[in-house]
Amino acid sequence: MKNLMYSSAAFVALSLSASVAMADCSPDFTGIEITATTQTGPYIASALQLAADGWTEKTCGTVKVVEFPWSELYPKIVTTLTSGDDAFDVIAFAPAWAPDFTPYLTEMPAKYQQGDDWMDIAPVYREALMIWNGKVLSQTMDGDVHTYTYRIDLFEDKAHQEAFKAKYGYDLAIPVSWDQYLDIAEYFQNDVEGVYGTAEAFRRGGQQFWFFFSHAAGYTNHPDNPGSMFFDPETMDAQINNPGWLRGLEEYIRASKLAPPAALNFSFGEVNAAFAGGQVAQSIGWGDTGVIAADPAQSKVNGNVGSAMLPSSNEIWNHVTGEWDTYDEVVKTPFMAFGGWQAAVPQSSGNQEAAWDFISFLSSPEVSGQAAVTGGTGVNPYRISHTTNMERWASIFSEREAAEYLGAQQASVTADNVALDMRLPGYFSYTEILEIELSKALAGDVTPQEALDTVAAGWDELTEEFGRESQLEAYRASMGLEAK
Amino acid sequence: MTREDPVKHFFLWPAVLVVLAIAIFPLIFSLANSFMSLRLVPPRPSKFVGFENYIDLLGNERFWQVVKTTSLISFTSVAFQFVIGFAIALALVKKVRGADFFRVSFLLPMLVAPVAVALVAKQILNPSMGPLNQVTTFFGFPNLPFLTDSTWALGSLIAVEIWQWTPFVILLLLAGLQGLPDDVYEAAELENASPWRQFWGITFPMMLPISVAVIFIRIVESFKIIDTVFVMTGGGPGIATETLSLFAYQEGFKKFNLGYTSALSFLFLIVVLIISLVYLAILKPYLERYK
Repeated sequence: MKNLMYSSAAFVALSLSASVAMADCSPDFTGIEITATTQTGPYIASALQLAADGWTEKTCGTVKVVEFPWSELYPKIVTTLTSGDDAFDVIAFAPAWAPDFTPYLTEMPAKYQQGDDWMDIAPVYREALMIWNGKVLSQTMDGDVHTYTYRIDLFEDKAHQEAFKAKYGYDLAIPVSWDQYLDIAEYFQNDVEGVYGTAEAFRRGGQQFWFFFSHAAGYTNHPDNPGSMFFDPETMDAQINNPGWLRGLEEYIRASKLAPPAALNFSFGEVNAAFAGGQVAQSIGWGDTGVIAADPAQSKVNGNVGSAMLPSSNEIWNHVTGEWDTYDEVVKTPFMAFGGWQAAVPQSSGNQEAAWDFISFLSSPEVSGQAAVTGGTGVNPYRISHTTNMERWASIFSEREAAEYLGAQQASVTADNVALDMRLPGYFSYTEILEIELSKALAGDVTPQEALDTVAAGWDELTEEFGRESQLEAYRASMGLEAK
Repeated sequence: MTREDPVKHFFLWPAVLVVLAIAIFPLIFSLANSFMSLRLVPPRPSKFVGFENYIDLLGNERFWQVVKTTSLISFTSVAFQFVIGFAIALALVKKVRGADFFRVSFLLPMLVAPVAVALVAKQILNPSMGPLNQVTTFFGFPNLPFLTDSTWALGSLIAVEIWQWTPFVILLLLAGLQGLPDDVYEAAELENASPWRQFWGITFPMMLPISVAVIFIRIVESFKIIDTVFVMTGGGPGIATETLSLFAYQEGFKKFNLGYTSALSFLFLIVVLIISLVYLAILKPYLERYK
């Protein structure tokens, strides 16, 4: 009898503890392991890992993060998807690859496409970058827009202000046009000892072309002709050798000469190092620059990190009329360079429910907000709440730095004339031609016009090869235009 | 068991099948692909295109540019490797103090992974933080664009190749020199032949067969160069330092143009075969003479 009582008590205790455990796992994915893949860390991979730890605590499922070098990630994912292999449950990838991946992805469950958390995602991501032909096939997990970063101490130095005004006839301030940006670069490069004009990525294979796109966006993303920056959305003819692009390239080349001597070998990592190391007066690039430069452990200029939207232009090339259109004021045209890492679930995954739950957790305001202020995660703001929670950002920025940084991020992703990045099937084939010609033009082996003419001819040839109709359809979908 | 015993088939055929499966099938499969239009991205249905991939490649300026670049890197670096390697091997074969230490030290670069060598070289050649440019600017010379100017970048790659692979040449030539008979040199000494005369009259001719083999191995290996280029220059600026292997990698694993890449691989094989055959044909009379 005693034994029976003990047994009953033990059974009740076990049942109770089991039910408590069940309650702890919400939803319960005990025994389920999902595999998430992305580029080699720390960037993005560490964000996945941080979220994985939290998700394991919440759901009792586990996440294995598999990392590949950037150059290997696309081939690994594409071979897995096309072969129907179930190796990955979550893929974190560049949005430009979306056209090649979308036929193999599952749609985001409807329950995640509603509520405050859904509406908190900045519209350019929620309504453009996560959508393909009307379906939400991925979740943005990083906001990527190019912004401008500058040294507050240098810009507010009285001696520099006076010298600059004497030389250029206007005040040294945050540049609103690319002309002003180059003037500032020229001033610090030539007239100030110990600091170079600017830093951008110029290395082939080192994110170079996004920096060129940022320059060109101001001259080619016409507000009246949406989606016409890279190709004519009616004919799919390449636009990259038009006068707007030429002006962008000429200025990009000029920027390379107003930079540190090593700049032609700079990828974005070196841009961050140059700015945080106090080598340059200003730079353009992703939001990582501001976060790294504000970190005293990594930076010599913390406390003096100013941010703003990218410079733009009041002249924009109109490919329809074949003329420059001039506006009274600069048309603010930030560029969604890269567009931010996307997370998606392949159709071949055997754990789709758990995988989407993990993505939802990863991109939740709390988890993603913490990742955005954690150095090295590579996560930049993509939710409205990321740019309004000043308390969170106070841990890394001064009040002024935080206000400028968040202001620049928010103004960029909500700008009326924000330029979307190119997303096309065969993306690597298009960008490879561009990278080769950009390298030649930067080295002075060909003229900017020759380089762009070669790129345009190469792009048109690729479009013919891949099928003009299907490419046009994909291009229009990527630019948020209706199918023809 | 006689030659006619049918049991021989039991032992022979497994080996034949293994060779067919492992060595021949991939080649035939790849050759078949080279006659197809086969693209994974964007996905295209494969179709037979005959020699179109080969014709495209032969008419592609970039192909000829990478053949030229690869040949330049290969021939120049191997020439230097042979001359420097021979000189060091001659020095090491002498019984001098610390010879064992020098032998091991000279062989070290060959033991390091090419990617690691390239990373170290990239740091040394860094225009602003690399020690080489710090030295040149200290002496008042301009900052040299080691990896960003076409000519300098090619020179840098060749220098790294020479640094890494000269030890291989030293290793083999040293083995050859140690195997040369002493009595021939003793006879030359009796005839008062100068060291210079001994080298050209005895050492070089007797070392010719192994020299030909060493150069042959190095040329074939050099033509496959990819890792050093990938890390140091990525093939740039433009395509100034792009090699055949890197070009094939870009086409195959970035653009997934598999038919085209297969054709490129076979053209690569043909280029190396032609160079090898020409090289051996030119040297054949000399090898016959010193047999």
